[in-house]
Amino acid sequence: MRPLDENETTQVFEKLFKFTGNNLKNIVENPSHEGPETNPGRYCFRLQKNRVYYVSESLVKRATNIKRESLVALGTNIGKFTKGGSFHLTIQCLNLLATNAKHKVWLKPTSEMSFLYGNHVLKGGLGRITENIAAGDGVVVFSMADVPLGFGIAAKSTQDCRKMDPNGIVVLHQADIGGALFTFGLAAFIDTYDQFRGLQSLVEGPLY
Amino acid sequence: MFAHWYGMKIRTFNHCPIDGDDRVEGDGDGRVYFFSPKLQRLVHHYTRFYRMGKKQKIVLPPDLPPEISEDEIEVSDEDLQFVNENREYAGFVSNLDTQSITRHVTRVADVKEDALESLYEKRLRKKSLEKAKEENVLEVDPVDALPVKTLDGKLYYRTVAKKSENAPKEGEASGDNEDDGVDKSVVKMTKAEKRAKLKKMKKEAKKQGKEVAEVEGGQQIPQAEVLAEVKKELTAEEANERKKYRLAELGTALLMDPESNIKSLKEMLQISKDGDHAIVILGLKSLLAVFKDIIPGYRIRLPTEKEQEMIVSKDVKKMRYYESTLLSVYKAYLQRLMALEQQPLFQRVAVRCICTLLDAVPHFNFRDSLLAAVIKNISSPDDVIRKLCCATVKSLFTNEGKHGGEATVEAVQLIADHVKVYDCQLHPDSIEVFMSLSFDEDLRRPEISNADGRVKNKKNKKRKNLEEQSQLQGNEKKRSRQELMSKTREEVSAEFKAASFAQDVMEQRRMQSETLSAVFQTYFRILKHTMQSVAARYVTVMDIYNKEGRTGWIRYHRAYTWTWLGANSRSEGSLSSSAGASGGHPLLAPSLNGIGKFSHLIDLDFMGDLMNYLRKLAGGGSNSNNSDGFSDNSVKHLTVSERLGCCIVAFKVMRNNLDALNVDLQDFFVQLYSLILEYRPGRDQGGVLAEALKIMLCDDRQHDMQRAAAFIKRLATFSLCFGSAESMAALVTLKHLLQKNVKCRNLLENDAGGGSVSGPIAKYQPYASDPNLSGALASVLWELNLLSKHYHPTVSTIASSISTLSDTHNQVFHSNLSPQQAFMELSLEQESFNPKGDLRKPTHKRKRGSGSSMPAGNGHPDISSTEEEVMRKKLSEHFLILRDITENERLKSELDRTMMSLKLYEQYKKQRKNQGSSKPKKMRNC
Repeated sequence: MRPLDENETTQVFEKLFKFTGNNLKNIVENPSHEGPETNPGRYCFRLQKNRVYYVSESLVKRATNIKRESLVALGTNIGKFTKGGSFHLTIQCLNLLATNAKHKVWLKPTSEMSFLYGNHVLKGGLGRITENIAAGDGVVVFSMADVPLGFGIAAKSTQDCRKMDPNGIVVLHQADIGGALFTFGLAAFIDTYDQFRGLQSLVEGPLY
Repeated sequence: MFAHWYGMKIRTFNHCPIDGDDRVEGDGDGRVYFFSPKLQRLVHHYTRFYRMGKKQKIVLPPDLPPEISEDEIEVSDEDLQFVNENREYAGFVSNLDTQSITRHVTRVADVKEDALESLYEKRLRKKSLEKAKEENVLEVDPVDALPVKTLDGKLYYRTVAKKSENAPKEGEASGDNEDDGVDKSVVKMTKAEKRAKLKKMKKEAKKQGKEVAEVEGGQQIPQAEVLAEVKKELTAEEANERKKYRLAELGTALLMDPESNIKSLKEMLQISKDGDHAIVILGLKSLLAVFKDIIPGYRIRLPTEKEQEMIVSKDVKKMRYYESTLLSVYKAYLQRLMALEQQPLFQRVAVRCICTLLDAVPHFNFRDSLLAAVIKNISSPDDVIRKLCCATVKSLFTNEGKHGGEATVEAVQLIADHVKVYDCQLHPDSIEVFMSLSFDEDLRRPEISNADGRVKNKKNKKRKNLEEQSQLQGNEKKRSRQELMSKTREEVSAEFKAASFAQDVMEQRRMQSETLSAVFQTYFRILKHTMQSVAARYVTVMDIYNKEGRTGWIRYHRAYTWTWLGANSRSEGSLSSSAGASGGHPLLAPSLNGIGKFSHLIDLDFMGDLMNYLRKLAGGGSNSNNSDGFSDNSVKHLTVSERLGCCIVAFKVMRNNLDALNVDLQDFFVQLYSLILEYRPGRDQGGVLAEALKIMLCDDRQHDMQRAAAFIKRLATFSLCFGSAESMAALVTLKHLLQKNVKCRNLLENDAGGGSVSGPIAKYQPYASDPNLSGALASVLWELNLLSKHYHPTVSTIASSISTLSDTHNQVFHSNLSPQQAFMELSLEQESFNPKGDLRKPTHKRKRGSGSSMPAGNGHPDISSTEEEVMRKKLSEHFLILRDITENERLKSELDRTMMSLKLYEQYKKQRKNQGSSKPKKMRNC
């Protein structure tokens, strides 16, 4: 676990800025009420095993007690650096994005499932859209009941959306909670399996 | 002059040795003329007639006695005897050549009648010429013959007053019969008489002037002379009176029969060029009335030269003459109006005339100049003129039937240019007129159907052509017949079009689109101008900042304050100059209204830019990126009402163009959220706020839960601190929001924190600028409890009904009251609201709470009165105690004193006793 270096920080912030705009300030300056300290600390970004975590400072202090290899996760995982060195947001950051989102799209109930299965958002499925979205902006996808479902990249600006036909793609799918359910459910299983195997090998190795 | 001449004549007749009576008789009713001075009117009337008839009846100066046949002559014996006796000198009678004598006396007796007339006319003319010559000669008044020397050294001979030359003579006629034989009666008259006479003369003159006017232009030369003379002799007042009458006469004559009296228009115009203020105004007004009435319902096209050469019937000629005269005079009149419009003295009248003309006859020639004049004055500093012009333009817009819409296009384009030229610094009224424009939306449909039809036709034609080609190649006859049929059909339809007054749809649509483009051009220009003026300051500041760099931070600050102060003073100046207009953007509010009204007609391509502008303006022109200092100061540039207006317009535009896409205007909600706090009841317009609440919060279909909660909380806070009307509007909105967003009813529960719905923000942040980040769901609506004790019964009722909303979960009940209505009702009621009526219920809630904890509104007489009682009691108690204390003290001191005196007395007694006991001893001793 280590703080992000300058290059990584810019990458992470640029990505977050795409979705939150000026609300990025809120993410950084958000006071944390975790831990027993009376005066609230802040949240900070930490890198652990190529994954970026959004952690409260008090937790960081405590996590230092655990050695790097055995620290699986801490705080909220918001994304990962790929092998190529680029930063990807993962679905776990959805909550953070949803509260601070600048651009939002609300889906009609009929098209929610389609999105949750990993499809792009079509104009026909659009219940509501924030005004003033430009193409390429990060967009958080909500259900009509204001439940965040995922996020993506705007394919068209709001203005262009008006003239589009209902089958045009409005938001390019990046991550959604349905996929998360699938992926991370499985991954969690695999992880535990690996750990189990590791433990087994650990146990088995010296003994047997 | 004639009267004068005529009077002279009579006098000479009277003195004539030959019998005058006959002569007078020859004049017809001349006797009446002499008899009664009371009937002078009649006399003058008569003389006028007489003069008018002069052409035919010419007075032969030395007339023969009436012809008497020889049989009738009775020659008396005396006569005979006389002749016989004095044959030497009377004998010539017998051998007189009667024939030659008659010829001599009648002189022209043997000339034919017509020739005779002309001859006499000639003679008359000669005479009048002589008269005129005579008048030119300086005539020195015999009374004061000495000349006057002016300061320049010029000598002025006092000429005989014009009046005395003529008027007396006119009076002479009447004077003659009063005291016959007295020539210069004026001289001998007493003062009173003179005055009476003068009055009479004035009256006569008036009459005369009036009647002179009636004379047709047939015998202009003597008439003109008379007129000139009369004009000269009348004083200015009289002339004015006369002109007034003349105007009235001409006007009525014109209205009665415009075709034959069209010439008198020129004269009216001439009168209106008079030097006198009142007469000019009257002339303009009467001309206006006449024009309004006689201008035909079509546009006059003057005949071309070719047409004029053609031989036409009499009627057509007459008509042409009429039209051309009308047009030329109208043109001259308009030129006169335009000229007078420049003069401050006549401006109002001229503008009124122009406006009325434009209103009445917008179809007629020279509409452009009228329109230009009206538009020029549309933002005049003079209230009356501006209102007039605005009303006129409005009526132009609303009554398009009168001019077929062409004037609308022109007017709108002119206004657009006007705004451009004046750089958007005009009175708001000049843009508000656009609000009365109306656009026919049905025009779009026929276009579509036409287009479809055309396509179909084309297809059909193609098909037909194909068919025809395939079919009709064989039989040419059929084909030619068909062609003939179609030709005739086309002709008929063309004729029908020409005959029917229905306008061409295409033409109408073209005009409408031109109008629209001009209107929106104006609106966008204003928006852009506002943007630029707001941004300009920001840019200058940024420039300074960039130049100085961070090292010059302090200097930059100073420079910024300077610019800011300068701008402020400038805007203040404009504020004071354009009273009522807000800040430096007088046109912003009306243009926003206009965009709101016509938002459904905006092209979708403009939408993006428009929303961008609106967003920036709603943010007070501050970019969201800039630092706090900037935004704080530039926000001040636009008032809260204007910014609210921007938000409203944005929502209207979005709603009206909301075909398929439901767009969420997040930025505007953020603006509204902060604007609610900036609102001040006295300074800003509550109606605008209520409208914004209605459109943005009540009408919008869905909201985020977070945002709704934030607005609910803020509105509740807001309603605590403002007047009853504002808080009522806020509470109605609040109720609406709570009814829609079931989850937000958690706010009504009594535990802070919000539970599972409170979202990621655990604590309510009242100062957050973004409603989504305020964490309002974690708060409690404690304000309602306070509001239920509001002094205004309506507010307290709705507050308590809101606080019980969570209990009545399943009740689907929507109040129809909109925030605007609520605001209006209460703000109207506020004037008549008598808080004393509240005391009627002694068991009212408010009594329970202690008065001091109430939110202090603006004057709570009921609370203060209840308080007063308590206070009075307390005070009285207090003072009672105080009084008791003082009383006690007094009593105590009194007691002390008495005690003291008692003691003293006792001591004294004792002493006395001692002394007494000793004294008696002494006495005894003595």
